[in-house]
Amino acid sequence: MRGRDGTRSTLTTVVALVFALPFTVLVLQAFADSWTAPALLPQEFGLRGFRDGFAGGGAGAALVRSLQVALTVTVLSLVIAWPAARVIGERRLRHPGPVILLLAVPVLVSPFAIGTGLTGWFVRLGLTDSIEGLVLGHLVFSLPYAVLVLSTGFGPGLRHSEEMAASMGLGPFRRLLMVTFPEIRPTLAVAALLSFLVSWSQYGSSLAISGGSPTLPVVLLPFVGGDPEVAAALSLVFLAPAMVALAMANRAGHFR
Amino acid sequence: MLAPAVGTTLLLFGGALAGAVEQSFTPPLGGGLETWTLESWRQVLGDPVFVDAFWFSLRTTLVATLVSAGLALLIATLMRTRSAAMRTAVAFPVPVPHLIVAVVAVLWLAPGGLADRVLGTLPLNLVRDQLGLGVVLVYVFKETPFLVLLLLAVMGRRLEEQEEMAAVHGIGRWGRLRWVIWPAVRAPLLIGSMIVAAFVFSAFEVPLAVGPNYPPSLGTYALEVTKSDAIGGAGQAAAALLLGAVASIAFALAILGLFKARREPDER
Repeated sequence: MRGRDGTRSTLTTVVALVFALPFTVLVLQAFADSWTAPALLPQEFGLRGFRDGFAGGGAGAALVRSLQVALTVTVLSLVIAWPAARVIGERRLRHPGPVILLLAVPVLVSPFAIGTGLTGWFVRLGLTDSIEGLVLGHLVFSLPYAVLVLSTGFGPGLRHSEEMAASMGLGPFRRLLMVTFPEIRPTLAVAALLSFLVSWSQYGSSLAISGGSPTLPVVLLPFVGGDPEVAAALSLVFLAPAMVALAMANRAGHFR
Repeated sequence: MLAPAVGTTLLLFGGALAGAVEQSFTPPLGGGLETWTLESWRQVLGDPVFVDAFWFSLRTTLVATLVSAGLALLIATLMRTRSAAMRTAVAFPVPVPHLIVAVVAVLWLAPGGLADRVLGTLPLNLVRDQLGLGVVLVYVFKETPFLVLLLLAVMGRRLEEQEEMAAVHGIGRWGRLRWVIWPAVRAPLLIGSMIVAAFVFSAFEVPLAVGPNYPPSLGTYALEVTKSDAIGGAGQAAAALLLGAVASIAFALAILGLFKARREPDER
């Protein structure tokens, strides 16, 4: 039994390393001023990548803009998704297929097409190059994820728990706080994480809607291939809020 | 209850789709409804490069999705009782944008990359290979942890209690897997796989970075026609991407049909 547990521990450690370790190359590249083959480590360390990346202030402004948009999109997605997710998760719809398909269908269409399609409308409404326009554009993609993921947390089990709580005299607000949230917390955390990340990493729609006031991925892309040090440095900055979101989701969610 | 989400989707997605459809029918030099033409659609459907791109995207999507789903089930089962640190390590690629994963893949797997430096030489060419193995590898690396997260979210205390109850009633390991674990993980696995498949089918950053020069992926094809034809390219790109969207929707319908077909026998 102990041997089997040991094998399992080794296996999970290897799996964890396989997924986490390759990203160390980004850190090395970001802090390398010179790194050529066949060297396994950079020949010269430095901060050129960060200096050149943030020269002019464009990347800093883009970082703030990306954060504002992603946080707003996350909150809006969860609020709008909750009622629909509940109905779908509890299987209260006689024919859920068409509703799920309608809500999920934006995920199935390329952001390249959606971003361009929205731009025509946003030009007429004066929403291009604005935070509001970006929020609406990203909402198209984050809302389906929020609904689909959140719906997996609702079901007959949760409903039964809520009915039991109601029969014990708990009001709607206390039921929500004491029964619903603790039960749905892991799924809610994943849904929030995904909503944030979908908005955070949007490239095609952001470029189409707000090319004049770019988000961080739009600023980052031209450096990929051309200047690996700057690309790696901006990638690290790009990763930081996403990592914080992941850690918060882990803490708020399943890992207790 | 459905109104907020359905209304938002209809307004934003419907408007966007109408704009994309309009673009695919608008002649290169513009004009109103009376000037609409099928020219962009004709050019795309008659282009052998588009056909090759479509099949390449379909093939890589199916392989990447099936491998990711299988691996996710295995890893989630392994990880469900592991520490938070271990789970966080596995989930690490989830918040990382595809573009960055592709860059990391190139830094490791390209000729002269870190893998070559560490191992001497790689037995397989995984960057710009004709079969698209590099593309599949990047997507498997990126999407498996996403599916693992979805599965772990439903593999909580409630499921453990149900398993314990089943064990008390004398149901063996395989019986618990079939009657307790599988019904719990089926929905997130299928929905997650649908999301993965749709994303892989329409994305273009990864095929651009590690995919072969030919055939292109569907997304790469759309990008290339836009770049190569400044006047008529946008309409062709819209037509190509809309055709890709139709294929994605058909794929999603197939998965939903499978979900329904698998659920009904259980409910009887």
